[in-house]
Amino acid sequence: MIPLSWYIMLSAALFTIGVVGVLSRRNIFIILMSIELMLNAANINLVAFSHYLQSLTGQIFTIFVITVAAAEAAVALAIIILLSRNRGSVYADEFNILKG
Amino acid sequence: MNTAISISGLKALLPFLIMTAAAMVVMLGIAFRRDHRFTVLLTLAGLALGGGSLVFTPFAPDRYVTTLVLVDAFAGYYLALLFAAAFAVVCLSYSYLEIQGGHREEYYLLVLLAVLGAAVLAAATHFASFFLGIEILSVSLYGLTAYQRHRDQSVEAGVKYLILAAVSSAFILFGMALVYAEVGSMEFARIAIRAGAAGGALLGTGLVLIIVGLGFKLAVVPFHLWTPDVYEGAPAPVTAFIATVSKGAVFALVLRFFGNMDIRVGGALFLIFTIIAVASMFFGNLLALMQQNVKRVLAYSSISHIGYLLVTLLAAGPLRLNASAFYLAAYFVTTLGVFGVVTVLSTRDRDADKLDDYRGLAWRRPWLAGVFTAMLLSLAGIPLTAGFIAKFYLVAAGIGSALWLLVIVLIVNSAIGLFYYLRIIGAVYSMDGPPGPSMPISLSGSAALGGLTLALLWLGIYPGPFLALIGSLMQTAH
Repeated sequence: MIPLSWYIMLSAALFTIGVVGVLSRRNIFIILMSIELMLNAANINLVAFSHYLQSLTGQIFTIFVITVAAAEAAVALAIIILLSRNRGSVYADEFNILKG
Repeated sequence: MNTAISISGLKALLPFLIMTAAAMVVMLGIAFRRDHRFTVLLTLAGLALGGGSLVFTPFAPDRYVTTLVLVDAFAGYYLALLFAAAFAVVCLSYSYLEIQGGHREEYYLLVLLAVLGAAVLAAATHFASFFLGIEILSVSLYGLTAYQRHRDQSVEAGVKYLILAAVSSAFILFGMALVYAEVGSMEFARIAIRAGAAGGALLGTGLVLIIVGLGFKLAVVPFHLWTPDVYEGAPAPVTAFIATVSKGAVFALVLRFFGNMDIRVGGALFLIFTIIAVASMFFGNLLALMQQNVKRVLAYSSISHIGYLLVTLLAAGPLRLNASAFYLAAYFVTTLGVFGVVTVLSTRDRDADKLDDYRGLAWRRPWLAGVFTAMLLSLAGIPLTAGFIAKFYLVAAGIGSALWLLVIVLIVNSAIGLFYYLRIIGAVYSMDGPPGPSMPISLSGSAALGGLTLALLWLGIYPGPFLALIGSLMQTAH
């Protein structure tokens, strides 16, 4: 059997890749994909721990998370389409009307 | 624990069921009859019904409905506060959206869904209800922030809020997974017991990640970067909603989640929250001094107010729940009042967010200027307003637990804060304002502002009955 620590390492690596992606990429679609990566890293953790602890809570929770992520992506894509129509660009560093 | 829902459990869930039903009814209402006034009336009826149902809800300290929510007096108080704030926001939104074109009706659907998410947060006692509540609230707020599709600022604010809120949700989720790994349960009560004992590395890391995520939602330093941009870009009533309902609900959750834990003086959690509170007070107030845009000033001011509120989380003793409950009520009334004035002064093309929009307001609209002045003085914490009593309670709670550093920082910052509130008030009473056309203020807008002003004066001058009510409600909580 694969030891639990491997799952934790895998999910921590995926989460870190996600955080670095959000911070460093310009294209807003890639940023969204990085956020999905972070959510799915947490999902791997939840399922692995659920199996390890022999409790179903984590797996049921994962289904909630997948559902919520889908809803979030739908709203996010709608707003980004709106932005690219208004602005003609999907690059995060060009969103600079608001600043103090 | 029992997982089935009994009839009495359903009765306890009544406010949540009514909010869900109200959102459905409004959605169907829009499908059959697209009419702004009709939709607003449906929404207000739903909120009033939800608030009214609180009278019949059987609150009890152990009224768990499954393991997910706890409908006790603590939850009941925050539900009432959230519904009342949403009611005021809807009244203000009506006058704001009436002068805008386009599809206005779906706005209210999003408001109702956001209130539902906030209500779930106020009663959550389990990671599942915590996560679902925060996501229902956030996803509705993405839509609300970007609601004015033709304004570039609004859409840009929506995208910024979207990315940062989604990232913070991911942090919270990852933290939840780690806490679950060590505790083996997602119930707040069991996590609190485990966190009190010597917790391991996974539990500690998980809690820190959850604090980071919640810090984003509460907009405390150093997770506050989105706040000024979103406050400036979002439509004025939505800004009021984010500042009150969203932050209030998350703070209620923070009180519930971390309140059960043993936050000892000198412990790691105590240190983290102290640093966050002190940094929020100082950064919020000092950065507010440099702003020219009224909405940005209020954004930084709200950062410092959450910093003040964190004192109640760190204080010990029964007084802290009373202090946070009263402070949030006063903060809700005042913030809604200030943004209410911004809302009614906004025009079709832009929100009234420049300092110049307020220059000489007192000579053009004396009543409105009076309301605005009273609200700003309350934010600053001047006696005879709600803000003073609220701050007095915070200081009392802090001194009661000997949190001298926090109390001193709080008092110093109240003095700094006074400066930028007085600068806005100075502009309101300056003599060199433009003559400006006197546009009539809508009935719903003035009704909401009138109600908020009365509440402000009542809480400030005669707070006794309200304090007694809070005392009796919070006595049974925890």
